[in-house]
Amino acid sequence: MALSYTVTDTTKLSSTAIYGEVLCELAEQHQDIVALTADLASSTKIGAFAERFPSRFFNVGIAEQNLFGIAAGLAKGGFVAFTSTFGIFNSCRALDQVHTDICYQNVNVKMLGTHAGLSFGQAGSTHHSTEDVGIMRTMANLRVIVPADGVETAMAIRCAYQTPGPFYIRINRGFDQRVYADENYGFTLGKAVELRQGTDITVIACGSCVNEAIQAAKLLDSGDKIKVRVLDMHTIKPLDEEAVKKAVQETRRIITVEDHSVIGGLGSAVAEVIAGCGKGCAFQRLGIPDTFAKIGLHEDLMSIYGIDANGIVTAVREIMGRDFEEDDNWDDEV
Amino acid sequence: MLEDKAIFASRIFLNAALPLVKVLVNDVPALKQAFAGKNGVIQVSAVIGADSGGSGSAGGGAVMSAALNGLVGTHFIVKDGEITVGLGPSEQKPNVELRFKDIPRLNAFFRGNMGALPKFSGVFSPLFIPLMKTLLKLSAMLMAKKPPASDADRELLVKLYFYLLANGVSQLNKAGEPGVHKWAAASPDRVYAFRVIGKDELAAYIRVKAGKTRASRGLYTRAMPFFCLAFRDVDAALGTLLQIDDLFEASCNGKIIMEGAPEFGSTLGDFMLTVAGLAK
Repeated sequence: MALSYTVTDTTKLSSTAIYGEVLCELAEQHQDIVALTADLASSTKIGAFAERFPSRFFNVGIAEQNLFGIAAGLAKGGFVAFTSTFGIFNSCRALDQVHTDICYQNVNVKMLGTHAGLSFGQAGSTHHSTEDVGIMRTMANLRVIVPADGVETAMAIRCAYQTPGPFYIRINRGFDQRVYADENYGFTLGKAVELRQGTDITVIACGSCVNEAIQAAKLLDSGDKIKVRVLDMHTIKPLDEEAVKKAVQETRRIITVEDHSVIGGLGSAVAEVIAGCGKGCAFQRLGIPDTFAKIGLHEDLMSIYGIDANGIVTAVREIMGRDFEEDDNWDDEV
Repeated sequence: MLEDKAIFASRIFLNAALPLVKVLVNDVPALKQAFAGKNGVIQVSAVIGADSGGSGSAGGGAVMSAALNGLVGTHFIVKDGEITVGLGPSEQKPNVELRFKDIPRLNAFFRGNMGALPKFSGVFSPLFIPLMKTLLKLSAMLMAKKPPASDADRELLVKLYFYLLANGVSQLNKAGEPGVHKWAAASPDRVYAFRVIGKDELAAYIRVKAGKTRASRGLYTRAMPFFCLAFRDVDAALGTLLQIDDLFEASCNGKIIMEGAPEFGSTLGDFMLTVAGLAK
């Protein structure tokens, strides 16, 4: 799909920029908020916080293990610590500290994993974060949120502050299309948002794929007369199991789409619910296959891996051709 | 050559309306009693002439697909009072038969034209009088212009119409009616349903997939139908089914709830009118 936004717009809509602003707003009201980074204040847009609240900001240098260890200590001392680093470093390089210092201790550390998925695609495999959701959602006590846009990022940040315990919030480098006009759409932790009604199929998406799912649903409605329900599953853990079961019951067909490996992320979480509910459902996971992704621009990579609007349209058309009942008796009941 | 319209009408009478005999016998105590303990085969048939091939899109296959020995028809196997419906003529000689000279006469008779009487055979069979009682009741129910007085009859009429419409639409597709067949051919695997809210026994549905259709009775419970015409109550259903109420107004004032995309409700409404138009 052609880009429909400009560099100027992306600056205005950057989720990381909104994160920085919301954190400053919260810090004005709540003296217990501290922020930490590992030499990525500029990239993760937490620099504004550093300028306004220098005594509550800590740059630990390129030492992510220290970042999370110190954050855990501050949280133990009564602070609410917001950490900012790339998603890949959060979930892989410093996983032991995340596991033992933060999740096991169940402390108030709110981890912002930026440059998620392939949103920093041109930086290469060392900076692609396509396994983080799978890793982080296995951590006990941890809530995992993947906001769809800047507005939802703001909601997630506020929710994380208000809710005791550790959070992992996964946001993109920027370049997010706006999904929500304002904050009055009813964000609730663990509750999916139904963005479009439909009774043919449900597309469950998170992060930047939510907007792609909406665009795909519009195309399918106008062209194919296929009615697609779109769910923004912003909270991966705890997952909105009721919304998934309802989709199984009401649409019989589900596609998940995420800027993440097909292993372990949203698709796996939804598959676990479907398998557990014991009802049949045509199901497909769209995401990065079991491979290290190619290097390139985010939009190009989303197209290559079929997680953009066109990829979703193709997948929906394919799954709509499948049977949802094995019964092949076409004689009318008399 | 027979007009396609005549072929479509005969498919509705033979394969959607006549099977309702079984529903009546099961649901009306007096008719159940009349058939109790009886055995045999009943058949309603029409001779297919050399001119019965159909003039247009339906073609001869629409009639001939269910033909046997130059006849089209519907038969009922009665075993100890229990009825099994068979679409198409019976392979065994019926005990009671109503045989029409041709399809136009069959259509005319079921539209209420008593001048198009069939040839009766087996009039002395113990099945004959129960059959005629049932056909008269069926005719009286389906020709009604206003809701019946009793609650039981009102519910029965809704059930008969739901089954007639579901089977009628499916039969029109199978017969190649252009509008219905085009809709079915373009459809992925979907279920369209009719129901009265709070009355699970008053429901029917059609499964549609890539040109194939199947009408079924009762609630579709495997999943939520793709589209459901849900009526607020029995009287709301009869208002629409007897064409007393306008479909649009009924949906505006809450008598009908369209569960699913409204444009599909309009399509289903058009097909209901097509079935009704052919049957009248």
